[in-house]
Amino acid sequence: MSGGTVDRARAMAAPLGRPALAAAAFVVLAAAFFAVIGRNPLSMIGVVLEAAAGDSYAIGESLVRATPILLCALATALPARVGLISVGAEGQFYAGAIAGTGTVLSMLPTPGWTMLPLMLVTGALGGMALSLLAGLLRTGLQVNETISTLLTNYVAALLVTWLVYGPWKSPASQGWPATVEFPAAAKLPALFDSRVHAGLLIGIALAVVLHLVLTRSRWGLVLDVLRSNPRAGLVAGLDFRRNALIVMALGGALAGLAGIAETASIQGRLQSDIAGGAGFSGFLVAWLARNHCLRIIPLSLLVGALLASGDGLQMFAQVPSSVTLVIQGLLFVAVLLVNGWLDRKRPG
Amino acid sequence: MHLQLRSIAKRFGAILAVDGVDLDVDGGEVLALLGENGAGKSTLMKLLYGVHRPDAGQVTIDGRATRIDSPRDAMASGIGMVFQQFSVIPALTVRENLALAHASTPWFTGRGARRATAGLAPLAAIAPDVPMDARVSSLSVGQMQLVELAKALQQDPRLLILDEPTAVLGDDEVRRLWSLIRGFATRGLAVVLITHKLADVAACADRVAVMRRGRVVASGAARDFDATRLLRTMVGERDLAAPSTAPLPADAPTRVWIRGLSARGPGSRIDGVDLRIARGEVLGIAGVSGHGQDVLADACAGVLSPDAGEVIVDGETLFAPRQRAPRAGRVAYIPEQPIRNAVAPDLPLALNLHLDRLHTLPAIPDRRRMEADARALLTRFDVRPADPTMAAGRLSGGNLQKLVAARELCGAPALVVASHPTMGLDLAASAFLYHQLFALAQAGSAVLWISEDLDDLLHHAHRIAVLHRGRIAGVVPADQRHRQTIGAWMTGHADAEAA
Repeated sequence: MSGGTVDRARAMAAPLGRPALAAAAFVVLAAAFFAVIGRNPLSMIGVVLEAAAGDSYAIGESLVRATPILLCALATALPARVGLISVGAEGQFYAGAIAGTGTVLSMLPTPGWTMLPLMLVTGALGGMALSLLAGLLRTGLQVNETISTLLTNYVAALLVTWLVYGPWKSPASQGWPATVEFPAAAKLPALFDSRVHAGLLIGIALAVVLHLVLTRSRWGLVLDVLRSNPRAGLVAGLDFRRNALIVMALGGALAGLAGIAETASIQGRLQSDIAGGAGFSGFLVAWLARNHCLRIIPLSLLVGALLASGDGLQMFAQVPSSVTLVIQGLLFVAVLLVNGWLDRKRPG
Repeated sequence: MHLQLRSIAKRFGAILAVDGVDLDVDGGEVLALLGENGAGKSTLMKLLYGVHRPDAGQVTIDGRATRIDSPRDAMASGIGMVFQQFSVIPALTVRENLALAHASTPWFTGRGARRATAGLAPLAAIAPDVPMDARVSSLSVGQMQLVELAKALQQDPRLLILDEPTAVLGDDEVRRLWSLIRGFATRGLAVVLITHKLADVAACADRVAVMRRGRVVASGAARDFDATRLLRTMVGERDLAAPSTAPLPADAPTRVWIRGLSARGPGSRIDGVDLRIARGEVLGIAGVSGHGQDVLADACAGVLSPDAGEVIVDGETLFAPRQRAPRAGRVAYIPEQPIRNAVAPDLPLALNLHLDRLHTLPAIPDRRRMEADARALLTRFDVRPADPTMAAGRLSGGNLQKLVAARELCGAPALVVASHPTMGLDLAASAFLYHQLFALAQAGSAVLWISEDLDDLLHHAHRIAVLHRGRIAGVVPADQRHRQTIGAWMTGHADAEAA
């Protein structure tokens, strides 16, 4: 293949932008997948669209799924700004859920207006604590943060399971492992008469604020330097440890917030497996967005919609809902392909 | 072999790196390709080796038009290249590195690579003293380069390109390389030697070609170019006044006291270093590399916390165990290997020029102002291209060095720590940097200048201290008469002074 043709194709593709190209590649891949499993690609894509955004209920469910993914993606992107690779959003989500639930349970007989803010703050602190543990291990003992966050994910998830089977199990739930139902005072306000709660707005606002802070402020520059070359940062007198701990703490707080908001407003009680992979989807979204906080917003909504369409697929098209996991995988493959193609080091 | 380049051109963005170059190379001759940093020498040779593809022009080998799209094509055409940045794998042994690069090595060697004999012949021929089973990470820079050279020779090239091979070598290693290069030419190889050292030309070039701003501005037999003519051709009509230090008044007060400083770094250490540097003084640190120079520099700049002792500047202790004052504005530091130690490679030049004073910026920095400040500095220190939004990693080695110098030498620091500040710089840029450094001294700074170039130190420093095994072996005024003494201290013969 001649280099000229590729260059010309690339030049023509540039104005379309990465998102459009990636979307096109994704549709092609998804269609191919449906063809392979013996379904009509067009009607299946129709079903996916219908189930993700066909009516106000579908849109609502998509936004519900997107909310924790958005916060968890921010929780991943923030440590990445100093070059730390945290895969701990899932565990921090659970840690936040535990801490916030603890607050709610301790205040239970008489819930007042203070319950909601206290629950959110302690939830954030819970996520922060777990994330700081990994941060301290990294800055103090050089323990790889990717491994430690991966492992603490299991600890936090199992801790939830133990709590809901044991000390926090509701006597009224007749054997079902869950805490008591949260009171209305612990729920975030709902939006547009749906299950979507204010956590979505909080997440979007935080993404915008973080974007401005990271790209406009002096602190953002400090983080950039530490990511680009920690040694040069040290020579310039910048404090890697302090900044690493700050971003780990803030990231953990965001995932913790996602955890307690999901527990209180969507599940209504603490039970096992409530994260449903939101932490990991968040990691992938952050990675797709290249840790760019604004790009995280649409990508979270897209991934949330895809995941939400799983139920629809199961109901209307009689395919296993796990098909959506394949579709989610294909989305990442599509973005990878397009990025790889556009970024390929030009030979010269 | 006869190689012909005609009208070769290459543009990177707005910069015309190579601008219509014609060049001929013949078997059996050494062509020295000279030019300042960023003149286009390396780019031209990377075009020939297939690392980049030319936008225009033609390559002809032995009369046949040849298209070189990749290093693989270049090797197939009989072209080998040794880059400035080594490609040997430090964690493997010499033998394994050579086996990896050798074409006859099977794709799966199992544990066989440890015993591989393929591809060892070139190294055995040029440097029988390099231990085959030592890890590459344990070799000296000179030995690593010989391994690189052996890798290139495995392909049995007819044209060998060496990119500034002498820049990183000590005196003995340079002499050995020169004789190797002459040997290659005698055997009929064509050799292109990219350099900006005039000594390389005198020692082994048959022909020279001088590049300036992407063009070959002069070429001819090496004997027709004396040092003055070469210099003129390389730098054009700019002024090349030799830099000099002002004489130091006898009563100059002490400005910096490095007091009993002990510190440990990876691989080396310093032990009880005690030095006083007067206001306006340039104190040279001589020594064989690896005797604690990097630790001394880091500790004096407050990057490495000392185990004992202190650095006292203007009567105030700046750095001591568990004490570290910010160095910005008071201590300027040009560390060795700027790409590793002093710049953030994927960030813009403007930010890199503010790296040491980030904390003095407002909470929301004004980018346009940062870029305007940066542009002025880039122009003043002749960093090319002077584009404040460009990523630092895209600068050539010499321009990176200038970038760091621009940042560190633009203020009025009390202490300047400069570690090999002219490494990788051409003559004009070195002269300019020395001018800046010595102007700071004249304005009252104390300068601690670490170098392996004893000639430079003797020429420009006021006094020279010799570092040996992390201790100061002695301090003498910088005077040719003390050359023997300094040499003896450097090699650990402390008693030679008496002799």
